[in-house]
Amino acid sequence: MLWYKAWLETRSRFLISLATLTLFSAIFVEHAQGLLRPEWKSDFNRLLFVNQQFLVIMWILSVVLLGMGGIVREKATGISSLTLALPVSRQRLVGVRVGVGVLEATILGVVPWIAVFFVSFFARKPISITQVASYVLLLLGGGIIYFALAVLVSSLVSGEYSAPAVAFGIVLLAAMLFDAWLRQLNVWRLVTGDLSINRSTYLLSEHLPWLGILCSMSAASLMVVASIIVVQRRQF
Amino acid sequence: MTDEAVILTQALAKTYRNAEAVRALNLSVGRNRITAFLGRNGAGKSTTIKMLLGMLRPTSGSGTVIGWEITNAKENCELRRRVAYVAEDKPLYGYMTVEQTIRFASSFYPDWRKDMEKKLLKDYELPPERKVKTLSKGMRTKLALLLAFARRPNLLILDEPSEGLDPVGIEHLLQTLVAQSAEGVSIFFSSHQIDEVERIADQVCILEKGCLLVDASLDNLRQFYRRIDLVFPSAPSEREFRIAGVERIQAVSNRLSVFASKNAEAVIERAHDLNAVSVEVAPVGLRDIFLETVKER
Amino acid sequence: MFFKLTPTTGQPLYLQLMQQIRHAVETGALRDGEQLPGIRTLAEELVVSPNTVAKAYSELEHEGLLEMRHGSGAFVCVKRRTRSLADQVQIARRRLRDIIERLREDGLLDEEIRRAFEAELLYPAEMVRKR
Repeated sequence: MLWYKAWLETRSRFLISLATLTLFSAIFVEHAQGLLRPEWKSDFNRLLFVNQQFLVIMWILSVVLLGMGGIVREKATGISSLTLALPVSRQRLVGVRVGVGVLEATILGVVPWIAVFFVSFFARKPISITQVASYVLLLLGGGIIYFALAVLVSSLVSGEYSAPAVAFGIVLLAAMLFDAWLRQLNVWRLVTGDLSINRSTYLLSEHLPWLGILCSMSAASLMVVASIIVVQRRQF
Repeated sequence: MTDEAVILTQALAKTYRNAEAVRALNLSVGRNRITAFLGRNGAGKSTTIKMLLGMLRPTSGSGTVIGWEITNAKENCELRRRVAYVAEDKPLYGYMTVEQTIRFASSFYPDWRKDMEKKLLKDYELPPERKVKTLSKGMRTKLALLLAFARRPNLLILDEPSEGLDPVGIEHLLQTLVAQSAEGVSIFFSSHQIDEVERIADQVCILEKGCLLVDASLDNLRQFYRRIDLVFPSAPSEREFRIAGVERIQAVSNRLSVFASKNAEAVIERAHDLNAVSVEVAPVGLRDIFLETVKER
Repeated sequence: MFFKLTPTTGQPLYLQLMQQIRHAVETGALRDGEQLPGIRTLAEELVVSPNTVAKAYSELEHEGLLEMRHGSGAFVCVKRRTRSLADQVQIARRRLRDIIERLREDGLLDEEIRRAFEAELLYPAEMVRKR
């Protein structure tokens, strides 16, 4: 029942994020058309691209929060003795938390875009499924590294409030550093579609940055493995 | 009763940067017995228990709990399936309801007993729908105890179980411990409530500054520990009374108070040889044994 | 069963229980053939370790006062030896009553008398003879 526990722990955060992201996307796409200038070419596609920008920010915020918790945080609140006394390996404790988080992060990435798809369908401006899928893929494939980072930070930093502070701090710092010096490797540009967008049609190119996505996911896996090792070796 | 040890440690030690929390501990807790673990705050009791359950890694030494090695992560996981533990702070997940907590805990243990769960839920008057964070301290203590008592583990480890309970709750706790013991559960508990320990414990281990000072059956402690108050016609020589078994001697002018862990008869004989005017012997309760033992250090 | 065990009197609890069971048999509170409560039941009632009750029953079985029937429990079994022992105890108590009365007349308080008994009882039999 570790999955159940992880679900109970993240339920509120997840549902609030899901509602926020989905409502935002739907309303944005529905009403923001009014913001577009008529001289902009491919106006609707551009709208979708802008939506992704907002979505990325909110999604990263949400998954970093979802990545908080775990046994190290339980020690700060005094209940780690209960979890650690359970006949489960520490590996499994981290693994289940990561599993639940990845599922939730996936849903958070997919559902808002499905809402957008249906909103635009009913507004008689249907968008291709490929475009939606591409945006989702970029978000999840590239962005999962942020979730993994949050998990790693939460296994190293033990305060209830210091862990999210450090996590967000690193996200911000990384964004600034990569933007200043390593523009090519900036995962932010990958996730938002900046690397793959065609500036005239505002459609995502057919050739998605697979290498970038692979690197990001590998880095995410490494961070998760590191979290497991940290938790295994930690003394409570 | 079998003599198999349900907890056995060999020179178990834990050193932190600035202190030795546990030193070369050779603990042997017998099966099918109620063993009490006494010690002052900071003596190393909780540290020892955490090492046994894999939460802390010993600096040196080794140990087994119900036959499984405590320093091997996999074996420690297996032993935790057969051991019930209630930590001193009675940890519970605040966001779960009483019912969710019980369902969660019971899913991990094949030795869970639904009949006992129902009985204790009724005895403790715990509302199943309430969230744990809204419960009073006493109810939280009871729920934490229920998670351990609604099982039939090989070993029950409790750290200050009666803390947070009113006298009625304490009585119920002691009865439950006795009932568990009668069903073959070995019990290892630490407590500051010496009265409770005196009533139900078979064996007593006293830990002070990380060292095991006393490891004896309560029957032996009762039978052999004595305080002998002597009055002499003139100031006696303390040295005469440093016999085997004498732990402490307090001298005030022509009076001597001897605290002995055994051999009281030899002390009395010596007193008579030295023409003692008055010889009074009294048994020593566990509280005084504990206080005298830790004072020594 | 009205047994009362005192943890602080310097006597192992199982010995106290044994004495009280013997006393109950001597005074007729427990009759020949009567069944004693099970180990678990008595332990829970007195709130003492089951090992205490088990040891008391086991020792009494050794002495012949109890009979442990597998599956049913402990039964009182008053043998002839125990009966004459009961008579001896009655005589001893009468003698003690006289001694105590005399000590009281001498002006000793009950507490002082009790402590004197304790001190004297600590001498094992051989030592007394030596004195």
